[in-house]
Amino acid sequence: MTVFDILINYHVAFLQGLGVTLQLCLVIWTSGIILGTGLGVVGANYPYSWGRFTRAMSFAFSAIPTLVVLFWLHYPAQAVLNIVIDPFYTASLTLSLVNIFGVGELVRQAIADFPAQYIIAGRVCGLSRRDLVTHIQLPILFRQLLPGLMTQQVVMLQATLFASLISVEEIFRVSQRINSTIYRPVEIYTALALFFLAVCLPINLAAAYLKKRYTRDLSER
Amino acid sequence: MLEVNNLNFSYVSGKPILKNVSLKVSTNGITVLIGPSGCGKTTLLRCMALLEPPQSGVIQIDDERFAYPWPESAVFTPPWPKLTTVFQQLFLWPHMTLRENILLPVRRRKNADIADKLDALIEAFDMKEFIDNYPNEASLGQRQRVALARALILEPRYLLLDEITSALDVEQIAKILAHLKSLRGKDIGIFIITHLLGFARHAADQVVFMDNGEIAESGGADILKNPQTERLGQFLSVIAAAS
Repeated sequence: MTVFDILINYHVAFLQGLGVTLQLCLVIWTSGIILGTGLGVVGANYPYSWGRFTRAMSFAFSAIPTLVVLFWLHYPAQAVLNIVIDPFYTASLTLSLVNIFGVGELVRQAIADFPAQYIIAGRVCGLSRRDLVTHIQLPILFRQLLPGLMTQQVVMLQATLFASLISVEEIFRVSQRINSTIYRPVEIYTALALFFLAVCLPINLAAAYLKKRYTRDLSER
Repeated sequence: MLEVNNLNFSYVSGKPILKNVSLKVSTNGITVLIGPSGCGKTTLLRCMALLEPPQSGVIQIDDERFAYPWPESAVFTPPWPKLTTVFQQLFLWPHMTLRENILLPVRRRKNADIADKLDALIEAFDMKEFIDNYPNEASLGQRQRVALARALILEPRYLLLDEITSALDVEQIAKILAHLKSLRGKDIGIFIITHLLGFARHAADQVVFMDNGEIAESGGADILKNPQTERLGQFLSVIAAAS
């Protein structure tokens, strides 16, 4: 049985798993980009309150393995609170939090490091506050942030695999189930690798292209 | 008239950078500021450009008066771009082509002759070959010309220039300085920090020599031939020996 035979024979299961993975991604990416950007902007404007909070949370989430946070929220937290939450929601919440604070710190750092001289140059040229934001700050920030943001979203897509460990029926768990039935680990995990390669490689290549095409040397050399 | 009176500035208390600096820049001439490195020239220019608030003093720009310390409750509305600046570091916006850099500040202006003015500047500063490049694709000398063009297209009444010819070759320096000289009598006051004493001798209506945060001597271009203070004499001898 080849990789393609497996993909064809179990395409319904794979598509269901893929659907769950993509649903997870949709929640994680949307919340991360929208709320994370908002958090980053607020953090940059209020560096001593929200800024420190964003940095501390981002630091904490980068220090504690995502799997530990996921397990902690799935088992002890729910036991302590005496509640049962669908694993999909637990995974969504955990990975969204990781993404929100990850994106938030990226955005906060980019705004905080924004070279003030470009604003000064605009001010002495008579640009309005609105022109400065729309024509100078946002385009430069967007260009500087985009590759990092895309890479972060690829990392989050890969992190959805952890959801399989709390019984979310995403693509990795589906693959494990199929493997337990037919025991073809080489073919199944090759198929899984091909799937992630097909999704992640174009995003990474796009991030590299955008970085090369649009990001600029901000130093005055 | 751009007038500075008794300006005092320090970044750290007790270590003054500017000490009671007073000078005038008329709208029909070129004022050249010279002085040794670290004497406070750029700080003075930033104060005059209203980018750095001095601890005390008055900056009068025509009928607008900026008295320091500036009251916290008062609205601060600098007269940019009537007063504009070209910095030593240029600060061209990196995501725009050099042409877009020049045109962005004037894009809201209805003047039909903006395109003609840009063409004239491109011609004057020899920018045709690289005007559609991005700043990171241009040499420092090319960027210096663009930064100056960006300021000139605004038709400022006062133009403050900080060492804008530092990365240019002799031919380009001559072109830019000739252009600046051509602006004399066109109701524009040019204040330029430079080490080019030759330019000061030939083009300056007023030369100001600054040393250790103070105006040590000022006058016409003739002070470069007959300095009245020992300190300016020493400074000129050092420059002459080095060149």
